[in-house]
Amino acid sequence: MEEILRFTDVGYIYHTKRGETVAIKGLSFSVEKGEFVAIIGPSGCGKTTLLSLAAGLLAPSEGEVTRSGRCGYMLQKDELFPWRTIEKNILLPLEIKGKLQQEQKEHACSLAEKYGLSDYLQSYPSELSGGMRQRAALIRTLAADPDVLLLDEPFSALDYQTRLNVTKDVAHIIRSEQKTALLITHDISEAISLADRVLVLSSRPARVTHAHSLQFEEPDPLKRREKGEFSEWFELLWRELNG
Amino acid sequence: MKHKRYEISYSEEHLRFLKKRRLHVGVVWSLRVGILLLLIGFWELSTAVGWADAFLVSSPSRIVKTIAGLYQDGTLFYHIGTTLWETAAGFAISVVLGYGIALLLWWSETVRSVLEPYIVVLNALPKIALGPLIIIWFGTGSKAILFMTVIVGLIVAIMHMLTAFVSTDKNKLLLLRSMGANKWQILSKLVVPSSLASFISMLKVNVGMAWIGSIMGEYIVSRAGLGYLIVYGGQVFKLDLLMAATVILCFFAALMYFLVAMLEKLLVKNTEN
Repeated sequence: MEEILRFTDVGYIYHTKRGETVAIKGLSFSVEKGEFVAIIGPSGCGKTTLLSLAAGLLAPSEGEVTRSGRCGYMLQKDELFPWRTIEKNILLPLEIKGKLQQEQKEHACSLAEKYGLSDYLQSYPSELSGGMRQRAALIRTLAADPDVLLLDEPFSALDYQTRLNVTKDVAHIIRSEQKTALLITHDISEAISLADRVLVLSSRPARVTHAHSLQFEEPDPLKRREKGEFSEWFELLWRELNG
Repeated sequence: MKHKRYEISYSEEHLRFLKKRRLHVGVVWSLRVGILLLLIGFWELSTAVGWADAFLVSSPSRIVKTIAGLYQDGTLFYHIGTTLWETAAGFAISVVLGYGIALLLWWSETVRSVLEPYIVVLNALPKIALGPLIIIWFGTGSKAILFMTVIVGLIVAIMHMLTAFVSTDKNKLLLLRSMGANKWQILSKLVVPSSLASFISMLKVNVGMAWIGSIMGEYIVSRAGLGYLIVYGGQVFKLDLLMAATVILCFFAALMYFLVAMLEKLLVKNTEN
């Protein structure tokens, strides 16, 4: 398998006027092409720092982050620009890269069409429901054709009902586009319902304490929740997270 | 008027609601106009009957006569034009310059930290204290008044816009940076459009500032303008002239604010989430 992202003994220190905080120390893991990896950790363990390191927005204080290909970021809130139409929002990453060519544009629009956004292309984000907005945010991320998707608790701002639906939605889109994804969350059940592999982080300074391959036949997150293994995994991960 | 066609299909309750709304708007407007008419009427009456001395408080009819007199000797539009020009030009210059300087300060954190105390002091300084200096530097013409108008509005514009630029949504910044955006792109695609609402509110504040600047300037040095008429009217005890100029001033200040409010309706459509 081709490796897309690798953290080798990575450490990261935050510097402020009052002193320094070791957010991450001795963190190693890798993500392979086509995998859906979830990282869970206690709150405040430096999850967002980890994603910023993965995206190359921060440079590690020690160790090495290697990345083959481009990253696409998806955040807690959809962060659609309210003054742009959905179409213009989706084309934003292409605009930034300065390659708004017809071919690329068509690819983005075909994604929007494929995943049920074609009626909303000329609408503004405020006219869409929370679930639709998060879907638009995912299409925006996919428009730049990233090699790995970095998902920073992308469902946590949604209400429970919407959240289950959007999780299913996003899982379906990511799997059918055969994308590699790295999800960071504090929600154990979300990690189990989505991922092929789950990594457990310690509290600060963060490092990987446990790693599991989940052998679900079922890619649908809602159906996974009904399986017997689901609660077993939940208990195990819950203990590891608190242990 | 698009919805009027469907009004038939509304429920009884909604029709009652609409009626109540219309009634409310009607009451508010009639009270607004009523208060104005009442004030003018009472003013006129009290001077006519002799409760108040028209020499000291003037009266609506004398104000109308004064304005008509100014119109007849051809100076009315000269004075209005002078003040309007000074105010509008000062407003435009302080807004454009203030926006530009705020962008510069947003761009470089170092420049921002270095200049911060200067801006704070300039903001706190009452600009009228610079009056004598301005006369010496710029003479007693329109240039001095324009300069006064610009400095009164400039610092406010800078501080207002800088606050808006600096408080740009952190997550949206992160998102753009993860897309590989450079600083120009962050500026043009996020910082400028997301600060549009602040820009409009800055314009509203600066309309007021520009009037303060131009009238204050005319108080200090001038040979024409509404501020000049007010000062002159006060000095020679022509209260009619003073009041007439003040009424005209009210009208144009309101008009300019109204124009900015129109601009707001035109520009701000989809800024809130």
